[in-house]
Amino acid sequence: MATLSLQHLDKIYDNNVQAVFDFNLDVKDGELIVLVGPSGCGKSTTLRMIAGLEDISAGKLLLDGKDITQTPAKDRDMAMVFQNYALYGHMTIYENMAFSLTLRKENPNVIHKKVLAAAEILGLTEQLNKKPAQLSGGQRQRVAMGRSIVRNPKVFLFDEPLSNLDAKLRGATRREILLLHKRLNATMLYVTHDQTEALTLADRIVCMSMGYVQQVGTPLELYDTPANLFVASFIGLPPMNFFHVTVSEDALVGPEMNVPLSEDEKKTLAAYKGKEIVLGVRPEDIVEGGAVSVKVFSNENLGMNTLVHGHLGNSNAAENKITCKLRGWCDYKAGDQVKVTFVKKHFFDKDTTNAIRGEK
Amino acid sequence: MNMNDEQVIRRDRMRFTKNTLSSGLALLAILANVFYFVSIYKSDVGSYYYNILIGASVLYNLVFMLLVFLSSEGVKGYKISYAYVLLAAGALQIVRIFILPMRAHNTVVTLNQTEVIVMQTAQFIRVIVYLCVSAACCIVAGLVGIQKSRALSAHMAAMNEQAA
Repeated sequence: MATLSLQHLDKIYDNNVQAVFDFNLDVKDGELIVLVGPSGCGKSTTLRMIAGLEDISAGKLLLDGKDITQTPAKDRDMAMVFQNYALYGHMTIYENMAFSLTLRKENPNVIHKKVLAAAEILGLTEQLNKKPAQLSGGQRQRVAMGRSIVRNPKVFLFDEPLSNLDAKLRGATRREILLLHKRLNATMLYVTHDQTEALTLADRIVCMSMGYVQQVGTPLELYDTPANLFVASFIGLPPMNFFHVTVSEDALVGPEMNVPLSEDEKKTLAAYKGKEIVLGVRPEDIVEGGAVSVKVFSNENLGMNTLVHGHLGNSNAAENKITCKLRGWCDYKAGDQVKVTFVKKHFFDKDTTNAIRGEK
Repeated sequence: MNMNDEQVIRRDRMRFTKNTLSSGLALLAILANVFYFVSIYKSDVGSYYYNILIGASVLYNLVFMLLVFLSSEGVKGYKISYAYVLLAAGALQIVRIFILPMRAHNTVVTLNQTEVIVMQTAQFIRVIVYLCVSAACCIVAGLVGIQKSRALSAHMAAMNEQAA
């Protein structure tokens, strides 16, 4: 088990493109950290720097307090699981799992015990004599994980391991990874662009954009109190609705709405009176009945909920688009008017895009 | 089943690993046989080899190599029947010492009114060594194959018994 400390990490490629800017993170022993963000945000680069597959341009990387910034990948005692499994097609599952230990010339009996134990954990005992081509994508990914487990590394690194799997298998394998983490209680770093994976797996999430860390926190913190517009828009499905509104004495006034403010909200927005801010409302924080009028243009029934897409008031302007996740089965038709209330609101500074928290 | 017992683990490993020792020895036997047959026939001794013996010998070499190759794959998967085939092939390699090399050794033939020894002692020793190596490889491969196959069968039976 291990702690990992990333201190002011930068990654600048030879062509002077900077992929990661001042990355700071302390990973606790046994913690599962998920790096999440859109493609090209630097999350995989960060993971590869930790693994030693990319040079660190600036900053320090500490494993259990020991500086491993310049340590070669093979000596870092970390295991990486890749998106494309990276299994040897001509070897059996047993041989694939035993391969790294065989290279280290470990005792074959010890290797055997470790492989059987890992196969038992991952439910692969019956597959050990098969070749990778005979397994499903989920099973192959489990083999890739098994190959990491047998090494008993200090840190597990996962680089989008579920991206090659179909939706059903992805869900099942995700649960297996979670169980694996609980069972091994190992320090893990997991890269994904899928926020569902991030929210369900992580002890803490690192949300990245354009090479910068946007927010580090528990899944609930990122969902409930996003640090800025980017995090608010990235976390949550369907994504948060945003409206440009002006803060008046006791309400938020927008082109097609007038939303009264509670006493707490007034305090939060005290410094913004008369100014324009961005109002964020999650679709699931909208309920039927109230003062805000929505003109429906489509209705998606999901069983327990209905996604209602529309525009505020009578406008068809793109900035007035709204998605509401209403409870139960609704049968609205295009053109219907629905009255809704915003149960919970998020406020963001229009210029800095940071969340407005108000004075504590 | 006591998985702390080194012997048990060694046997259990056979469930997932191949018998590469037997398989490798069988392939070595083929190699030694190739050395044997490319070095036995000589054209400078006239018609000595050009009779039924050479046809049979060439045919046997082909059959031997095919059979031993198939057996090497068989014993790799702990199939005991192939181990017996290897034992038989090894025994036949020993018998072969007494067919061509023994007959040709120091035999004198007359070629263009000149007496020529068909197989000098040096060549005789060389081909005997090749045949002996080939035979030894086959026999050891067969014995190892039998021993490992039996050990694996016993281990599997014990496992099934325990599972039941």
